[in-house]
This record gives sequence, C-alpha cells and structure tokens, in this order.
Amino acid sequence: MFTQFGATAESLSKASTMVFRIGTDAHLYDDPDDVNIAPLLDSKFDSEKCEALKRLLALIAQGFDVSNFFPQVVKNVASQSIEVKKLVYLYLLHYAEKRPNEALLSINYFQKDLGDTNPLVRAWALRTMAGIRLHVIAPLVLVAVSKCARDPSVYVRKCAANALPKVHDLRLEENTAAIEELVGFLLNDNSPGVIGAAAAAFASVCPTNLSLIGRNYRRLCETLPDVEEWGQIVLIGILLRYAIARHGLVKESIMLSSRDLENIASENGASDTYQKGNEDSNAYFGLKESNADLTNGVCKSEVVDIVSRSYLEGPDKYLSKHRCADVLSSELEGLHFTSAKDNEDIKILLLCTSPLLWSHNSAVVLAAAGVHWIMAPKEDIQKIVKPLLFLMRSSNSSKYVVLCNIQVFSKAVPSLFAPHFEDFFMSPSDSYQVKALKLEILSTIATESSISSIFQEFQDYVKDPDRKFAADTVAAIGLCAQQFPKVANTCLEGLLALASHATDGEAIVLLQAIYSIKAIIGKDPSSNEKVIVHLIRSLESIRVPAARGMIIWMVGEYSDIGNVIPKVLPVVLKYLARCFTVEEVETKLQILNACGKVLLHSKEEELWAYRKVLSYMLDLARCDLNYDIRDRARFIKELLSCYIGSSDTEEGKAQQESRDVSRVLAGRIFGGQIKAPSSEQFSARFYLPGSLSHVVLHAAPGYEPLPRPCSLNFEDPSINSNIVEGAKRPGDGATQSESYTDDPDSVSGSLNEESTSDYSYADSIGGSDGTGGSNVSSSLSEVDVHKEPLIHLSEVGYPNANPDGGSHVDNQYSGSNNLGELISTRSLESWLDENPNSGHNLSEPSSIRKSSARISIGHIHGRVEPKICALLDPANGNGLSVDYAFSSELSSLSPLLVCLQVSFKNCSTEPMMNLQLVEDNKRQDSSDHASAMTESSSHGDVPSLVPMEEIANLGPSETINIMLQVRFRHHLLPLKLVLWCNGKTYPVKLRPDIGYFVRPLPMDIGVFSAKEAQLPGMFEYTRRCIFTDHIGELKKGDKPGTNDQFLVICECLAVKVLSNANFFLVSVDMPVSANLDDASGLRLRFSGELLSNSVPCLVTLVLEGTCFEPLNILVKVNCEETVFGLNLLNRIVNLLAEPARG
Amino acid sequence: MLQCIFLLSDSGEVLLEKQLTGHRVDRSICAWFWEQSIAQGDSFKFLCRVADVLSDYLGGLNEDLIKDNFVIVYELLDEMIDNGFPLTTEPNILREMIAPPNIVSKVLSVVTGTSSNVSNTLPVATASCVPWRKMDPKNTSNEVYVDLVEEMDAIISRDGTLVKCEIYGEVQVNSHLSGLPDLTLSFANASILNDVRFHPCVRLRPWESQQILSFVPPDGQFKLMSYRVKKLKNIPIYVKPQLSSDSGICRISVLVGIKNDPRKPIDSITVEFQLPPCVLSANLTPNHGTVNILANKTCSWSIGRLPKDKAPSLSGTLVLAAGLERLPVFPTFQVGFRVMGTALSGLQIDKLDFKNLPSRPYKGFRGLTRAGEYQVRS
Repeated sequence: MFTQFGATAESLSKASTMVFRIGTDAHLYDDPDDVNIAPLLDSKFDSEKCEALKRLLALIAQGFDVSNFFPQVVKNVASQSIEVKKLVYLYLLHYAEKRPNEALLSINYFQKDLGDTNPLVRAWALRTMAGIRLHVIAPLVLVAVSKCARDPSVYVRKCAANALPKVHDLRLEENTAAIEELVGFLLNDNSPGVIGAAAAAFASVCPTNLSLIGRNYRRLCETLPDVEEWGQIVLIGILLRYAIARHGLVKESIMLSSRDLENIASENGASDTYQKGNEDSNAYFGLKESNADLTNGVCKSEVVDIVSRSYLEGPDKYLSKHRCADVLSSELEGLHFTSAKDNEDIKILLLCTSPLLWSHNSAVVLAAAGVHWIMAPKEDIQKIVKPLLFLMRSSNSSKYVVLCNIQVFSKAVPSLFAPHFEDFFMSPSDSYQVKALKLEILSTIATESSISSIFQEFQDYVKDPDRKFAADTVAAIGLCAQQFPKVANTCLEGLLALASHATDGEAIVLLQAIYSIKAIIGKDPSSNEKVIVHLIRSLESIRVPAARGMIIWMVGEYSDIGNVIPKVLPVVLKYLARCFTVEEVETKLQILNACGKVLLHSKEEELWAYRKVLSYMLDLARCDLNYDIRDRARFIKELLSCYIGSSDTEEGKAQQESRDVSRVLAGRIFGGQIKAPSSEQFSARFYLPGSLSHVVLHAAPGYEPLPRPCSLNFEDPSINSNIVEGAKRPGDGATQSESYTDDPDSVSGSLNEESTSDYSYADSIGGSDGTGGSNVSSSLSEVDVHKEPLIHLSEVGYPNANPDGGSHVDNQYSGSNNLGELISTRSLESWLDENPNSGHNLSEPSSIRKSSARISIGHIHGRVEPKICALLDPANGNGLSVDYAFSSELSSLSPLLVCLQVSFKNCSTEPMMNLQLVEDNKRQDSSDHASAMTESSSHGDVPSLVPMEEIANLGPSETINIMLQVRFRHHLLPLKLVLWCNGKTYPVKLRPDIGYFVRPLPMDIGVFSAKEAQLPGMFEYTRRCIFTDHIGELKKGDKPGTNDQFLVICECLAVKVLSNANFFLVSVDMPVSANLDDASGLRLRFSGELLSNSVPCLVTLVLEGTCFEPLNILVKVNCEETVFGLNLLNRIVNLLAEPARG
Repeated sequence: MLQCIFLLSDSGEVLLEKQLTGHRVDRSICAWFWEQSIAQGDSFKFLCRVADVLSDYLGGLNEDLIKDNFVIVYELLDEMIDNGFPLTTEPNILREMIAPPNIVSKVLSVVTGTSSNVSNTLPVATASCVPWRKMDPKNTSNEVYVDLVEEMDAIISRDGTLVKCEIYGEVQVNSHLSGLPDLTLSFANASILNDVRFHPCVRLRPWESQQILSFVPPDGQFKLMSYRVKKLKNIPIYVKPQLSSDSGICRISVLVGIKNDPRKPIDSITVEFQLPPCVLSANLTPNHGTVNILANKTCSWSIGRLPKDKAPSLSGTLVLAAGLERLPVFPTFQVGFRVMGTALSGLQIDKLDFKNLPSRPYKGFRGLTRAGEYQVRS
C-alpha cells in the first residue's frame, strides 16, 4: 500500500509533493533556523517548545553544534509534557558531556521523575541520567539504578539493567563491586525481558565474574527460550562460558575427539613432529583420518584439535605457543573433562538451546549452534546442520557469515555436511565472496558418492561469466581430483579441453587449469603420460608465461617417464632453445632448470645432443639482461660442469672425486622429490563460532576465547549449594544444608573475606562481656595514660542480626539498626527495598561490622584554626594587605549570611584612610552609606554583603579585624567586591567555602544515625580519597602522652575537617582490633545544617589502612540537597587529600 | 554493541546522526565508509531490523521520508537502542509508544499546530509474557487468514536435468481477533518439512512432540513460520535456452512451456538473463510478450500468462565482439512466475483451532507460489 503511495507521489508534480509534505516535520529539517529558537524555548506553550526542540534536533542531525542553547533547554526538563521531555532528553544526551555544569542542574528533576507514577517517565529519567556520563553524579546514578532495579515495572527494570554498562563505562573503581552486585540481582529477576538486558550488562561489565551466573544457572537456562532474541544471543554465550569454566569440556564432544585416551601417546608424538614444521603435516593428516568415528564417519581430528585449542586459548596465543613451547599438549591433557550424559548442567544447557535452533533470528541460531558444536556429544551434533543451512536462505550478508562458520565446521567434520552438498550449489544472486566460500566447502565435503554430481555442477561453473570464480572452480576441481583418484581422468580431460580452448583474456583460468593438472599429475605421473605430451604439444598456443613455466617444469620433472616423452624431448628442447630469447623471465628460469634436469636423467646416447642444447642456452643466458638469469646460468654451469665439460678424458683422481660430489649434489637439487606445499593452512585462525572475529579472521575488540575449563572454583560453597538447589545431584551432598537465600552476599564482594574472621572475633568479645568489662578495659589500659578519660568504652560489638549475637546487644543503640552499616553503600537499599527477601540479604553486612570503642576528643577545639585566605595582596594594594577567614560564628541578621573574619593590615609606612568593602555593582560613595544601610534593611531580600563600617584610619603596621557578613548566591562562584582605600578602588574576589554554608548541629549518636537512616539512597554520596597528614604527625608525635596512634589520626582528621568546615563533631568510633596498627574501621561523624534552609547535613569518614601508611578514607555525605551535598563531598575530599600546610 | 548510527542520503551526506554510547564517533567516518562502499559482510541483523521498522513506519526509506519525519526517526532510534544494546524492537510495542505518522496527525498538526506522537503511557505489553501482542486489542472484525506463501528455488543444468529443486515457504497469518486468543494450527503432512523457523510466539514444546503450532498471535499481519521442503521433483514450467555460435554471430532461442501442470493458472512469467560482456549487440524477437534490454545488458522478457494456442519463444542473434568466433561464457536464465491458489510444496493445513475466543471467527486459507531463485543454465 505504501509503495503504491510513494509511486503516485513520484509521478505527481513537484508542487503536489510539497502538498504532501505539509504537516510533516520537513520544514523544520530544511530550514531549522529560520526563526529565533531561543525565545521559543522560553515560551510557556509546550507546542512552541516542541517546535524549538525539533529545530535543534534538526540542527544536530545536520551536524551543527547547538550546545550553546544548553542552559535554556535544560530548564525545560521540568516540563510536564511527555513530548517536550523526550525531546529535551534527546538533546541532553547529545551534549551533556560537553556541558557538565549545566547538566548537573537537571539532576534534581531526574530524581523527581524517578519517583513519578508513570513507568515511562521513570524509565526515561533513568536512561537519560545514566547516559549523561558525568563522574560526579555516578554515585547518584548508581543509587537510582539500584532503586529502579526493584521497580514494579518490567520496562524500568530493563532500563536499569541497560544503565549498568553506562555507569561502568565511567570507570569509577569504587563502584565496580556495587555494579556487579546489581548485575547479579537483575540476573535473578523473574521477567525474561529483564534477564536479557541483565545478561548484556553482565557481558559488558564483568564477563569473567562467572560466579554470578552460577547462582542462577539453572533458572537462566530455563528462561532462555523466553528471553527476547537479542538477549538470547548474549545469554547463550555467557552460559556456554560458565558451563566450560565450571565443568570443563564434554568428553564425548567434537572438541575432545582428538584427545581420546588411546590417542594421547600418538598425540604427544604428533605434536613433536608438529614442532618441526609443517612439512609432514600432510602425511600426518592422512594418518589421523583413520581415527574414524562410529556415528559420524570421518572427523579430521587434526583440524578439530587446532580448532578446540584456538577456542580455548585464542588463536594468537595458541599459535605463538605452538611455535615456541613444547608443553602445550600436556597442558591440556591435565584438564578435567565432564560428560554430557551424566552432568545435569550440561544437559540442561543443551536441552534449552536446542529449540533456539528454530529461532527466526539468524544470530540466535548461530549462537545456539555454537553451543552444540562445542558441548554436544558427537552423535547429537547433527541437529545443528539443517538450521544452519536454512540460515543461508536469508540476506547475502548473513549468508556470508553463516558460510564462514560452516566452513570451519565442515573442515573439522566433513561428514556433517556431506549429504547436503546440494545446498552449496551456487545461485546467481551470490556475491563472489559467497561463491568462493561455497566452492571451498564443496571441495571439503565431497565424497565418493557425491563427487560426480559436484563435478557436473563444476562444469557449469567453469562457463560462468565471472572468470575469477571460474578460475576458483578450476582450482576446486583440481583439489577434488586429488582426493578422488577415480574421477581424476575425467577431470584431466575436462581441464585439458579448457586449457586448449582458453583464449587470451582467460589467463587466470588457464593458469589455474594448468596448475590443477600439474597437481593431479603429481599424484601419479606415470599413468598420465599422454596428458603431459598433450600439454607439451599445446605449448605453442599457450602464451601465459606462468602457465608455460609450469608446463616446462613438467617437461623437466617427468623427462624420463614412459615411452613417448623421451622421444619427443629432443624436439621440445630444440623448440625451447629457439624461443628462449623471447620468453619472459620466469619461463626462462624454468627452461634452464628443465634442461638441467633432462641432462641429469638422460641416457648416454642422447647426452651429447642435450649437452649441446644446454650449453647453447647457457651461453644465451649468460648474456641475458636479467641478473637472476645470469646467476642461474652460472650456477647450473658450475653444478653440471661434470656433464657439460667432459670433453677431456684425462682426469685426475681428485677431479673424479669432486665430480662425484657435484653429481650427487646435482641429483639432490634437481632430482629431489619436492613435496607440493600443503594446501591446508594449518596456521589458519579459528575463532568462536558466530563471533565477529571469526568473520574478519582477526581478534576483534572485545573478543575473548573460552574460559579455561574448570577454572571456576569448585570449592566455592555458594555455587555448589545452588547447583544442589536446582536439582539434587548424587555424590555432592556435603553442601546441601546451605540454604539458597544466604548466598548472594557471601559470594558478592570482597567484604566476605573479612567476614569470617571478624565475626568470630566479635563473638569472642561478646562471650567475655558477661564476665566483666575488665578484660576489655585492661586491654585498652595502655590508652588510658591520659589524665582525663579521653576514651570511654561505650559499646563493644554492634547489634547483630545473628540471633547468637543477641547477648551483647547494647540497649542504648538497639533501636538504631543502621548504625554500623556505613561501610557498605549497599546498606541503603534497605530503604529502597520493599522485598523482604532481599532485605534479609542486607542483614549480612551488619554481621561484618567490627566491634569498636568510641572515643571523644574534647580538647581539639583549641587546635582548630580556620584557614586564612588572601583577599588583597600587599603588592597589589599599595601595601594594604587584606586576609579573610571563614568564621564559625553565626549571623544574627539572616540565616543566609556567612560570617567572615576580615583583617586589614597596613604594611606600608603611610597611614591609610577610608577603607571599605562594597559590592561590585554598587557604586556608592561613603557619604550615602547610611541611607544604603537603611534601604537594604528595609528590603525583604538579603543583600550579598551586609555593609561594613568604614575604617576611617589605618596606621602603618596596624591591623584591624572586622566581622563581615556575606551572602553567597552560588556555592562555587566567587563574590566580586570592591575595596575602597584612599579613594582608590581595588576589585577583589571573595571565594566561597562550602564548608561554611552550614552551621553546627549538635546531636548525639542516636539522633545522628536516626537522621542518617532517613537520608539514604539518592541523598547519600560517597567518594574515596587518600589521607596522608597523619604520617608526619605520627612521626613527630614521639613525645609521651600522645603515643596512641589512633588518637593522633583522629585528631588530625577532626582538626582538618573542623578547620575547613563549620561542623559539629558527633562521635569518633575506634576499631577494637587485634592489630594495633590497623586503623581500618575508624569512623568520624560530623553533623551540621544548611544555613539557608536548616536542612541537616551529615558527614561520615571511614578509614581503611594501617596507621603509618597513607589511609584510604571513604567520605560519605547525607543531605537532601543533592547539588549541595555533591559539592560538599568534593570539597571535603579535596581538603582531606591535599597535604597539610607547613 | 553499536556505537552510533548514521543515516546517509543517496549522495552520501549525513541525514541523521545518533550517538549511542559515550564513545563518540565523528561523522567524518561516514565519508570513508561511503568511499569504500563496504559490502555488508557482517551480521547486521539488528541494523536490518532497524531499517525494517523505519520503513514500516515511514512507508519506505528514502531521503525525503527521513527528512519529513526526522523527529520520529530520532524517537524511534532512542526507543530501540539503549547504550548500543537493543531495547525494544517489537514493532507492536513501538507502535504504541511512538505513533506512526498518518494523514490524521498531519492534518491535525496543520490545523491545530499541536500533535504529539509520543505516547504518555508505557504500553502494557512491555510487561506481559506475550510482548508481541497488544493487551486486549478490540477488533470489529473477527477473522484470521492463513497464507502459505512459497518460493521455489530450482537449478536446471545445461543438459536440462533438474539439479536441485526446493521450496522456501512462509506461513503468513493475518489475525484480527479480540482478547487473548490461543490458536492451534496443524498440518496434514508436516513430515515433508525439512526445516523450520518460528516467530517467537510459537510454543516450541508442542511442535517438538506433535508438530503442532500453538501460539498467541500478534495483531495484524505477521510471519508465523518459515519452512523448507527439499528434493522436489516437479517444476511447473520449463525454459529451454539454446545458443549456437558461428563466425562471430550467436543464434539464441528460448522456449517456455508448462512442464507439470499445477492445475492453477500460472502468471507473471518472466525470463531474465545477463548478456555476456563480449556481446556487442542483440536482436531479439519474441512471439509473445515483450523484451527489454536494459543499460546494464540485462535482457528481460516478460510473458505474463502462457497463451493457450502457442508455446512462447524468443529468438534472435547476438553479435559478438571482434575476434571472437564463439561465445566463451553462457548466461544463466532467471525465471519468474507466480501460481495463485496453490502451495507447490504440497504442504496442507489440516485445521486451525481456537481457544479463549468468545465467538468463532472467520477463517481463510490461501496458497501462493512464486519463483525464488529459479535458474536455468545454458
């Protein structure tokens, strides 16, 4: 219907086409900027916004950079219209990376959208947020993803799975564990659509973390047929890798057919001969073919062996190893094999992939066939044949891909495709590449019974208008004739006819024909004498130099065979001598060689005649223009001097001897049986079936060979228990007691390595708790050398989800379950989680918590010194130096104001007059200052700068400190001020410090953790940094009294944070650890609230590492204000990471 | 994983650019691709699907259509691919998410200036286990049509023997049923099928055990199954080319006639062949139908229906290039035909059963056979 439509449209006049295009977006595409886009974007009508966005999209499509509209476009994220949203998202994704700061502005809207009731809106928000690719929001995205991974809508969950690779792509190492855990979680989903996307995420995020698959292997296999086609392709590959890594190769499969037990000895021998080079491979090949398979007939184990090793190691590695090392054979022998007959996992994989062979998606069929090819028992492999052949009846490009794969399969097991030879007959629509592949396959799979029909076809192909293809056919005929001596004669006849009828334009066919004839004759020269004579006769008409060269080579090679050839030889030689001068170089060389050989084989009576011809030709050759020929002539003359120059009969004994030597030498050189180089390329590269690398024959980016068989740890209890969970296996009962729900966390992260030891430690403390605290306090007594109780033990061991640990739950904190979970970012998910099952998982990290003591640092406030920044340098200010430091005092005027301590110092010798700081845009004089004051206070809004009192006089080297109240309108942008002094103005910039946009919010630890529990998920931001200040502090801290390392570290950190930010230090938790040097688990908590809106803001520092090493600190900020929280986090990380002053 | 998609016009300029992952690809790469005119050697299955969906939406795929609807194309691409991985490719779902352009929306946009083709709600089918079906479609007509559409591939060698003859067939279903119907289709002679491929809606277990197609159909036209029947013996028409060369002139005659009467009218018969490059000029006259020789030396003889009174034949002479006595290469004749009303493979539908339907729908069955790669060598 549509095509008819199009046809009429074409036949109509151009005017009517224009009519047709009315109402489409064509005008937007053709002239996108014929209106001013900017006002449209600010319009209050959605339709106008839409139009503007479409215009922008058109400009993007045409390759223009329209990123300058970014701020205006981002504003529209808030639009309620779905279409505007969609268009904005399209724009955002295109430019977000270019304009990171503006893109950040949209984050809050995304977060709002993530809570929308419409799943489409949630999904779009997630997709866009993840697609923005800004490092700073990666933690936010991760939280959003983990929330969406539990969304009720399948579509949203699918998008969550798709978002994981995007987050992973940012390469933030601290997120890797969390991402992998999410992949595992999504693989556990019960919707096939999600599983497909999760499989894709797995493949791009953590393709080697096969233990994630192990948890769900059975279920994944069973849902495989329901997964959408694109996911199927990925999932099949993953399952195959898992099965091999877990169980190894199947011993009945093709892959191991060459490694049968009785073959191992010969295998080792064989690989030895292999090292020497390829010259024996043909003979060896023949030998191995006798390794007949009962069900499938011949299977070329040599090829199979290379194929399977290439699959496992990657061809490049394999080939290089093959060249240098001699251990390869034994290395693979040591592997474990499994059997498809009694291994349930392999059985189920094969069972669930076999219906996929009927899929209408070619790629799925290919992937499923690959699994069967590698894993299925040999007798079952037959079932992949028909589906593969069916694939050929699709587009030309997929035909090529399928044929590439069939080519390898048929090389390894020719019998597989032998009955289906008809499918490889050419069709006129085939491209040359496809035809060439088909020919190769046909000549591989030809059998005694099919060869005659194949030859019939070949004869037709020879007349094909595509001469290159015809030449290839001739080559294939040659190959087949060598394989089947029965048909060799008919072949020769056909080829001879072809050679004699070939016209000048047909050099390529002719050459191939002669080459094939030569190869066939080489198999059995004596019975093909007539053919040789025929060829020699046609020398006159064949003008292609290479073809002539080959015929002349045959003359020399077979000069002593049969009866006819020796008779015609003198004539032929004379003919060659006559036309020697007009021949091409390669023919000349062959003529010289041939003459040499003839002379060598000739009998006494003809010797004289031949000798004459040869010396005539050598004379000609010596004067040739080409130095190769002159060389060859000299060489032959020297070598055959005994034959040529035997005119004198008087010879010395020594001469006789050297003559014998050269005779032997000549015999070796000319008469040696030269083996035709093997046509089989054993260095051919084999890649996994269905992979891109296999088509292009080099490792494409991302190509991975199969994992090492059985490389997956058997001992991993979680895997075993799940296998057991799927179906009980006899003989593997040891782990059956472990229940399924416990597993996910015990395999997931690095945390579990600690878990066992810490766990037992906590238990032991808990046990001693009942008998009295003395035990613990004595262990800490060396800390108690201070006069004041710096450290008091508030808690030993945290509330524990484990019922056994209940005995030492501290009543005071029993309500704050989230207390210690800060170690794991995953813990926040308890908030997001509605699912009681995974809620149980989350109790796991809590059992990992270390027991710890709480210390209070009361005296450090004396050491807190705010950082002083220069506002005006004396060099620039005529000797006036102005410094400022943020003050922890709070403004009494407005909560929006930040207090600054500004100190004016006169470094010059002259007194200074009328100093004042004013806002940049206010050009006020000092005289009307009072009116400005009243004016501003009457205003509702707060000015950027509360006007300061003018300093009337500042004497030389006098310093005056003034408290200034400033309102920063932006977290990061500096405030521009003007400094008046002696009637001159100096522009100065006041840089905001986000650490002073908060005021301390005193609270105790209980309130802190309760508040923290209210701010999980997307309100939590974490980053890691390295802290080194304490090392210097510890080194100089040798004085007595401060010898506790933890205390020093805590003080260092607390002082540093408090010197730079206006926070309240809530608590310091110290790990009680066996290792005194281990500072891991040390935890500082700070609290504050935003000046502007009193939103609480919590900061937690968790340390990792040992005391005298740089410490790895996890900084966590919990705050409702997203952008503020992120900026604060960055600020804290920066200040911690920068080394201490002085 | 796809990194980006560029849509190029016929002249090689970029019409549309869509970056899919963070690793941006510059559009200058297109120029290189255009110069190389890369033969599509790789499994571009997904790209094919994208092209299918696009042409389905736009009613074709050309420069103007893409320009007309570039917003829709952008929106579609965005829905179909996420980060280089296919997201939603099921046409039914896409159709609900992004409305295809149609006259109504065009008129609406002219009149009111507003039209949104983006749906406000997520199609319910995304969550269902039968994503190919809209949830609860309402159809006024209650009918289902099953077509067997077959293509016959055959190779007839120079000496007139049938080298290979097989049929590639599709079961095309056009269903307009309400609710969530469950259909069962069985064949009278399923054993002749050599190999099959199914639409995802087909349940594979019943086929494995009893060779029954059990499925919940998508709405509208779709390809339920494709199959292959090999080693057929009967071809409906014969084409006998004869070429004989003599002193630079090649006489050609082609005869066409019925070989095994399918008992249904054969129409749209065409014979096409490529004149070898060494042919300088051709003088061909048919006794029925018309002959066209195109610029690329393709000679096409369209016969249409076979006349009752005579056997159509084409005869004439080819003048060979100077110096050539005889024709060195021989063209292959591509034959086209159509047989309405029968499936030449002999596949027969046994019955079509319904479950889960309030009223019995109207059922219709049809057969159609076309020539596929039907080639006669000379």
